[in-house]
Amino acid sequence: MQVQGLLRAPPPRILLYRAISSPPPGGNGGGGGGVAVKQVTRGNMAEALEKLRGRVREAAFVGVDLEMSGVTSAPWRDTFELDRADVRYLKLRDSAERFAALQLGVCPFRWDPAKSAFVAHPIPFSSCRHNFYIFPRKELPSDCSSHEFLCQTTSIDFLAKYQFDFNTCFREGVSYLSRAQEEEALQKFNMLYHGQTATSSTNSEEDRDIPLKSASDILFTERMKMNFKEWRDVIVSKPMVDNHLLGNIKFCAGQFQTVFFKMRPAIMLNGFSSHQLKLIQQVLRKNFRDLVFVCTFGEDDTSEKKVVYSGTDEDRILLMKDVQEDLLKNREERVKSAIGIRHVIDLLSSERKLIVGHSCFLDTRHLMSVNQAVQKLMKHKSKSLSSAFSLLCPASYSSAEKPSSHSPVTIEVEGDETTSSCFISGAKHEAGYDAYMTGCIFAQLCAYLGIKFEQFSPLDNLATNTELQKHINFLSPSWNSGTVIDLSTGMERPEPGYMRRYPAAVYDNIIVIWGFPSKVRPKEIKDCICKVFGSGSVTTVFSIDSTAALVQFKKQESVNDFLDLKAVLERADSAISILHPLSTILEGGQTRAVKYDTYRDICSSSESKSLFADQAEAVCATLKNQLKENVDDNLISGVLDGVALASVTEGDGIISGSNNQDVADVTCHDILDALHDGKALLGRRM
Amino acid sequence: MAAPRAAVASAKQVTRQNFAEAVRELGAHLEACDYVAVAAQKTGAPTGWRRALPVDTAETAYLKAKLAAESFQPLQIAVCPFRLRSSSPSTLVAYPYNFHLFPRDELQLGMPSYSFSCQSSYLSTMANDGFDFNMCIYDGISYLSRVQESLARQKIFTPRPQQLLPSPSTSVSDSVFVNRIKSKILHWRKGYADPSKKDDGTLVSSLSRLILGGETYGSRPSMSIDVCSDRQVQLVLEAVNHISDDLVSLVVPHKAGAARSVRVIFTNSKEDKNLLLMDIQKLEDEQNFKFRGFREVIDLLSSSQKPIISYNCLNDMTMLHTKFIAPLPPNLHEFMCSLKMVFSNVVDINHLLRQIGPLRKAKNIQAALSYLQRQYFVPIEIEIPQQDGTSSVTKNEQNVLRITKLFAKLSNLLKISPECQLQSREQCTAVEEYCNIFYPSCVVEGSYDANFAIESDTTETVSTDNIIFLWGFREKSVKELKSYLIGLHQAFSEDFEVKLLDKTCSALIFRDSNTATQLLKEINSEGPSLNRFFSEGLKAAGFEVYRKVCRLGLWDSDLAEVLEDVSSELGVPTLPECSTSQIYWNSALMLDLKEYLEC
Repeated sequence: MQVQGLLRAPPPRILLYRAISSPPPGGNGGGGGGVAVKQVTRGNMAEALEKLRGRVREAAFVGVDLEMSGVTSAPWRDTFELDRADVRYLKLRDSAERFAALQLGVCPFRWDPAKSAFVAHPIPFSSCRHNFYIFPRKELPSDCSSHEFLCQTTSIDFLAKYQFDFNTCFREGVSYLSRAQEEEALQKFNMLYHGQTATSSTNSEEDRDIPLKSASDILFTERMKMNFKEWRDVIVSKPMVDNHLLGNIKFCAGQFQTVFFKMRPAIMLNGFSSHQLKLIQQVLRKNFRDLVFVCTFGEDDTSEKKVVYSGTDEDRILLMKDVQEDLLKNREERVKSAIGIRHVIDLLSSERKLIVGHSCFLDTRHLMSVNQAVQKLMKHKSKSLSSAFSLLCPASYSSAEKPSSHSPVTIEVEGDETTSSCFISGAKHEAGYDAYMTGCIFAQLCAYLGIKFEQFSPLDNLATNTELQKHINFLSPSWNSGTVIDLSTGMERPEPGYMRRYPAAVYDNIIVIWGFPSKVRPKEIKDCICKVFGSGSVTTVFSIDSTAALVQFKKQESVNDFLDLKAVLERADSAISILHPLSTILEGGQTRAVKYDTYRDICSSSESKSLFADQAEAVCATLKNQLKENVDDNLISGVLDGVALASVTEGDGIISGSNNQDVADVTCHDILDALHDGKALLGRRM
Repeated sequence: MAAPRAAVASAKQVTRQNFAEAVRELGAHLEACDYVAVAAQKTGAPTGWRRALPVDTAETAYLKAKLAAESFQPLQIAVCPFRLRSSSPSTLVAYPYNFHLFPRDELQLGMPSYSFSCQSSYLSTMANDGFDFNMCIYDGISYLSRVQESLARQKIFTPRPQQLLPSPSTSVSDSVFVNRIKSKILHWRKGYADPSKKDDGTLVSSLSRLILGGETYGSRPSMSIDVCSDRQVQLVLEAVNHISDDLVSLVVPHKAGAARSVRVIFTNSKEDKNLLLMDIQKLEDEQNFKFRGFREVIDLLSSSQKPIISYNCLNDMTMLHTKFIAPLPPNLHEFMCSLKMVFSNVVDINHLLRQIGPLRKAKNIQAALSYLQRQYFVPIEIEIPQQDGTSSVTKNEQNVLRITKLFAKLSNLLKISPECQLQSREQCTAVEEYCNIFYPSCVVEGSYDANFAIESDTTETVSTDNIIFLWGFREKSVKELKSYLIGLHQAFSEDFEVKLLDKTCSALIFRDSNTATQLLKEINSEGPSLNRFFSEGLKAAGFEVYRKVCRLGLWDSDLAEVLEDVSSELGVPTLPECSTSQIYWNSALMLDLKEYLEC
């Protein structure tokens, strides 16, 4: 089931089926037993990307899947049927932000008219968020390593059951930068570059001197001075000597090894501490005009420090320019390679093919954080299929089981023999395999919908197909929401044929309570409230987790009545409050009740406590500290005066609500706007 | 010398496959040893201002350690019992074990941890060092903390045998009850014990089972007797004992832990009975593994009462506490009390290092070791009797062996002796004198630069009143900031120090606490003399605000942001209250746990 598993994320255009467990699709016909999957890691990323580009260009549609390190950061963050659209979005956003993508599967499907079959090329990309340090590390040592992600134990365990190779993932995984991060990195690097050229012109004369505090510093400086002088003298006395000769020169400590750097003799400075290196720089600056300190970056991101001999001033300027240019190139390369996985996303979005994925809005959201502009192409040809398919999906399963109903679509797998690893279908739960499966099912569904692949030329885009149009661009936020989101309008609408387990929610009538005694069950909450407000006054009690519950009243007035009554009972420390039916839930004095908007705020908080009650307390304790107390006091006095104070509490909700709107950096609507404005975004970047 | 040998020495790798055996061995070694060194490999460490900073008081340092302990996950815990003999040269016998952990939810109860944080830079360094994540995740040992175990025991019940206690006196009603039970069991037993009925058809036997109310336990016949009190359990056990040797009884507990029924199982023969008892024992062991897992090791360490030697004590001990004992209490004092109940003696290597002047500045174990190597002659013969044979040595086992070695050398220099040898040598100090004093270190792990920091030797105590937190200065270096401030207010012309806490906020430490309080007062009242200060966008707050930030656990954003939020919420007068504490400026701070226990 989807719930326990992994999130799959397709880029823009998405076909969703709901909750596909992974039985092989009925029409696997020509697929045979094994599916070849190309494993892509840091080493072969560039090559794989090129190949993929060609494959995607030819493809009729692309199956996509994502494996992540977790699904929900706490049990109460699961999406519930009762959730309002914004809350559901906040929950998904939380998951997308916290968890890391570990594997991305991409599987282009090409229609081969000659064989009347689809040809699939599954490719999983191992991706993981490490290797990220390129620029921050150099400049801001304080925040370089703050990239944290969460792992959900059950998800990791689930991946382990399917032999997910964590070692490969962590060692060889391809990193990524989102567009925003790329921009930031480039900006920083430009700043650094300009800053450096500025200093390099001046630094030779008056860099800040390090006072030689200790005797060891002075001794070290003197010794270095002598060593450098000796070495320089040798170089000068034998100009343009060949390698062998220089290599043979031994120096006192054996500390120097002569190498050549850009056709000039140089010394590698290995094994010095950063303080010593500073001293060395100082020595060079003060005493040797013809020795230049150069810092370059080796292949594996290690910095190499050298002292280079450069005879004349012109030569030195030339050398510095050379080094600067190298540095610049090197940094650009590194930013480019740091983009990593996002190249794949960019590729998919630029090819504008139909993307087929299953389940999860959430992953789209995750990719969004990887790449805000990924979803931009909505208006163009790329479309996703609706989760109206989720309705059709089970039907197609059954029909696939009875091959008589219609002939299955043939799918052939074309792997790369040299680097592919074969596996028995269904044996692995891997992004590449899942992407393939998703594509297979999609092909079946198309047949079921009456789309004639036979009339298809390989160049036709499936997304323009009129039969599919009505199913494209619908995302189902979660398997139990009962709604789909239409990406072209941004509206949610009920999913046809979804069987609701709970009566439809009226959010104005809902309160959230937590902190009640742990032994109280939802049934008891309902009973005791009904005792006070009359039977039938509560439509539903839904437990969020063991510490909290949503209570929906029949009438909106009951919400405020309940809150008022609760406040009064808590104030009055008498026998009445103990004997009152509500004491079942108020016992202990820790019980809190808030309106639905506050629940939304609690969900949007970046706090992460595993129990809802803890989370709610933390959120309320921090942000609304003052506000809440004031309101409570007003409320109490109001009740005592016999004045209904609904407006005050109402006000609370509104204030906090609007506050929050500001706090939340991206809302659902922002995303949709981003999708539509994607073109503009893209334009700006190019 | 010792160094090259220790480098190749590898610990016994323990996963869930060889856990039971390893625990047995470890128990024996613990008995024979004087000390235990402990080191853990975690999935990350706090960054930015969430690390322990020089401005932290003991209390805020604890809160930070608590945060780290709660969010990150130990993947390996190395335990190394060792023995020191001060012959000359002194010998060190060590038995290192490296336990691989993974918080798998063995009981399907959402325990031990729903999720955990990872730091990508940490993971990639570990991966580069050859850490085997697959081994850890596939085969790591799970665990439950003591608190979690008792929660789990309330949810999952396993029938277990119970000892028959000598019963005091038997009342009439008791004997009636016993007689009734006895006859019931006898009647039921006759159905199986009577050899003449052996060859009945299956129909008959199943019918008789129906009639007699019997069930089966595995392949053996059994029957349940409902009870409603512990007294009745005893009576049933007594009755069973009286009847025959071939009956085995198990107590089936109910939700609240009280017994619900007693299950009586019939065995054919003595061998069969032994077989059954062994089966039951095996089942219980398996259950125990699920309920405790790695915690068994912690329990062993705790009950052995050997001094625990560790490097980053505050971090490691909070981690051990939250993962294996109970959730961390909200303040340091309670934590200390709680920890003391589990581990009575914990030695922080950091504290020992501070006893030897120059070592005070050693940034890590490696640096300290190489310094000792150069400057002192402390010959130690190291013996590691059990070798695993694997060639790869993980960082974690390396660490634990380094701790062991370093402790051996230091105890030699400081003349520390385990209690048992104390009588013989008079000038020795008992290890207890160095126990339970922690230094939260501010050092970033992973930088194994074997150099000493260039910092002044002076450690001074600064009152929290002297500290002002300053933010809003955009990105400036300490030097720039200091020269920039001097022009803004006359208070800044006095002697003060600046320390960047993260990229958004810095701490100003004034020599004179009056200046600081005065300045803070002016800032809070937004006096006209500070117009330039404010127009530059600078903000400041006293220590009280920082303390509140830590106490509320607002760890999520930059320090400047949270200070801003909290100080605006606290209202205008944020003058330091009566609670002034001390920080140890210019050095890692020190927590003497004894102080905390006495108060």
